Amino acid sequence: MKLRRKLFGSKDPYDCTKSELFLGACKENFNHLITHCDDYKKIADGLGVHSADDISKPEDIPVIPTLLMKQHDFRSGRYMVMATSSGTSGHASHIRFEFGALIAALKMSLRVTRYHGILSMRPCRYIVMGYKPHRSNKTAVAKTAYLTTFLAPAISRKFILKHTSEGYKPDFDSIVNALRKYEKKKAPVRFMGFPSYTFFLFRILEERGLSFQLPKGSKIMLGGGWKQFYREAADKETFYKLAKKTLGIEEENIVEFYGAVEHPILYTACPAHHFHVPVYSNIVIRDPDTLEPIENGRTGLVNLISPLCKATPILSVMTDDLGILHDGTTCPCGVKSPYLEIIGRVAPDDIKTCAAGAADILQGVKV
Amino acid sequence: MILFDGKTYESSEQDRLLTELEKKIPEILAKDQLSPEVVIDAVDKLRIDTMAGKFDHLLTEFPKDIADSYKEQAATLLSREHLHKKLETELGVTEEYVTDPLKGFAQIRVKKVPLGVLFHISAGNMDFLPAYSLAEGLLTGNINILKLPSADNGLSLKLIMQLIEYRPELKDYIYVFDTASTDIQGMRKMAELSNAVSVWGSDMAIEAVRGLAPTGVKIIEWGQKLGFCYISKLSEVEDAEGELDGLAKHIATTKQLLCSSCQVIYIDTEDENELRTFAESFLPRLEKAANENATEEIGIRARDTLSSYTRRLKAYLGNEEVNENVLRGRGVSLILSKDSELELSPMMCNVLIKPLPRANISKVLYQSRYHLQTAGLICPKEDRAGLTETFTRGGLIRVTKGADMSAYFPGECHDGEYALSRYMRIVNVEE
Repeated sequence: MKLRRKLFGSKDPYDCTKSELFLGACKENFNHLITHCDDYKKIADGLGVHSADDISKPEDIPVIPTLLMKQHDFRSGRYMVMATSSGTSGHASHIRFEFGALIAALKMSLRVTRYHGILSMRPCRYIVMGYKPHRSNKTAVAKTAYLTTFLAPAISRKFILKHTSEGYKPDFDSIVNALRKYEKKKAPVRFMGFPSYTFFLFRILEERGLSFQLPKGSKIMLGGGWKQFYREAADKETFYKLAKKTLGIEEENIVEFYGAVEHPILYTACPAHHFHVPVYSNIVIRDPDTLEPIENGRTGLVNLISPLCKATPILSVMTDDLGILHDGTTCPCGVKSPYLEIIGRVAPDDIKTCAAGAADILQGVKV
Repeated sequence: MILFDGKTYESSEQDRLLTELEKKIPEILAKDQLSPEVVIDAVDKLRIDTMAGKFDHLLTEFPKDIADSYKEQAATLLSREHLHKKLETELGVTEEYVTDPLKGFAQIRVKKVPLGVLFHISAGNMDFLPAYSLAEGLLTGNINILKLPSADNGLSLKLIMQLIEYRPELKDYIYVFDTASTDIQGMRKMAELSNAVSVWGSDMAIEAVRGLAPTGVKIIEWGQKLGFCYISKLSEVEDAEGELDGLAKHIATTKQLLCSSCQVIYIDTEDENELRTFAESFLPRLEKAANENATEEIGIRARDTLSSYTRRLKAYLGNEEVNENVLRGRGVSLILSKDSELELSPMMCNVLIKPLPRANISKVLYQSRYHLQTAGLICPKEDRAGLTETFTRGGLIRVTKGADMSAYFPGECHDGEYALSRYMRIVNVEE
């Protein structure tokens, strides 16, 4: 995995000149997969991709839907850590990572978070708008939300979803109390988690006429999906306005993440709120009828490609997200790579994302 | 959400409500029988309000053309006239009568009465099916416990609540639960309260219900069926092009999701080349139909594309020989097969094409006897009667044009029986 090491060692996480290295690392990964995973080889053969020579562009790599990974357990070598996607309907995918993948992921996380100014030595207080890790919950969302609380030293951590005997329940009151306390202290506060809960918290604060002026450097970090907001028509502008009004946090201190267990690449929004594609991955948007790649600017299924992992064949996966890839050359942030906009998801079948699961719990809360 | 006695409750109250229902049922059974006229009146009011656009906001999740066609169908099917006709067709004589005197025997009074309590386990593949199944139970005067399918989007409950609003006396006869299919205890309790279980679903669903229902409860099964279209001597068929376009449209509009939908197209031949020639000419038609009937909604299109692609990959994973004989088009595929087995296609406009020489029809039908329902037939006029006879003798319930495989024919039965007569029993009283 020489090429992977080289790729994930790139100094600039948004270096646009590395496409050849990227393709090389993908082919290297493909060669490992077809020799270490019979199921992957069957699929590759079925799709007519018999060897790395059949791959001339990243889009030629056999695409595996996350839907299939939830129904079929793929393995392609020894692993150290296993992550489980959030599967509320009884289907979850198990993604295994070997040591080399973890090292690559670590290098990537450090470079990306440093680039975006999230990695900091200044101690802060965390409010996690998600699950408190509990042995009954192995989902990656719980783990990643928890892990992000290490991006700067933590003075304290508070979780909005508490595990009770009846499952996970939101506990807004204790958050409000905590905010009262934190407002008077010096250390910045960092929110992390689902946009839906964060938005909900804003609304509660607004309704109760509460507003806080949190210490300078406080941030809101969002991951886990904006999707339901498109349906509820609560757009991002409203979100930013409420953040300012209720917590005193400016728009530039709202950082969004995008990622999936099946594609553990850290997409971090730039100050213009764009998810630029980093050097570690490629995104192909595919036609919703034919799955053929389509040009930038059109909506389709989101195919995510990265040679990060060997122990599970997640080289090229298709999510059930619908998105648009935009040309990034004119973005004011200076990064030239294209950026991804998530528009929503495919119509519901029986699969729910973790964000949808959160929305379900919320319905039980009366405001 | 639970609907009980005309009021809604949280799902968590299921246990308490079922215990209460056990006490209520004998009280309701002791009352006068529910008149079908009350039900017809409520349904007709629903029709009038539907026509007036009162429920348009509930239909916004359907593509416009589909919502329009639902409204058009509702105009006829929910009308007083149609419902009266349905009662007459399905139940025959409902007036009680006394048998003719026969020497040496006493006379009896004969009448049809409701079974008592019906437990409906509805399927989620057809919009409005839960409400429809419930309405049939009401028309026959039964108390109805309805388990909504997990895929239900709340529409069924809204329609049912509307019926109660029109005729509040219906509330005694309607109990709707959103029990999960995995809640075996809950479903067993519901079955134990009932005289009959009416179950729509796959073989697996029916097997599960047979397992949980107490001995003695009548099980009314509306099982999964497999439709096919039989094509013979295409070159001699009058307006063959129109027939094939009709079949393509049927496949594209039902997406092969219904029991009556075409899963397999059988060609009356043994020649593999003939199969391929047919498939090559049918592919562009199917592609065109799929394209014309594609929903505008990108989310639905993407989901369907993604699930057919996933199924395709799963086939590669299986140990079976990978079928090389697949013709792919935009959003559609035709899978050529050498055997004649009637089986479920991958659906979503992915159709199986198989050879079936006439001489083998009966054998294939016998092998699939549990799953037969609808056969579309495209053949020369002079062969139609003979082939139809072979099909119906072999176990088919409906023989239609290729285009009309999933059409609703007023007066039709379902899976060979009239639903309403299955929901009633006949009683004899000595004079």
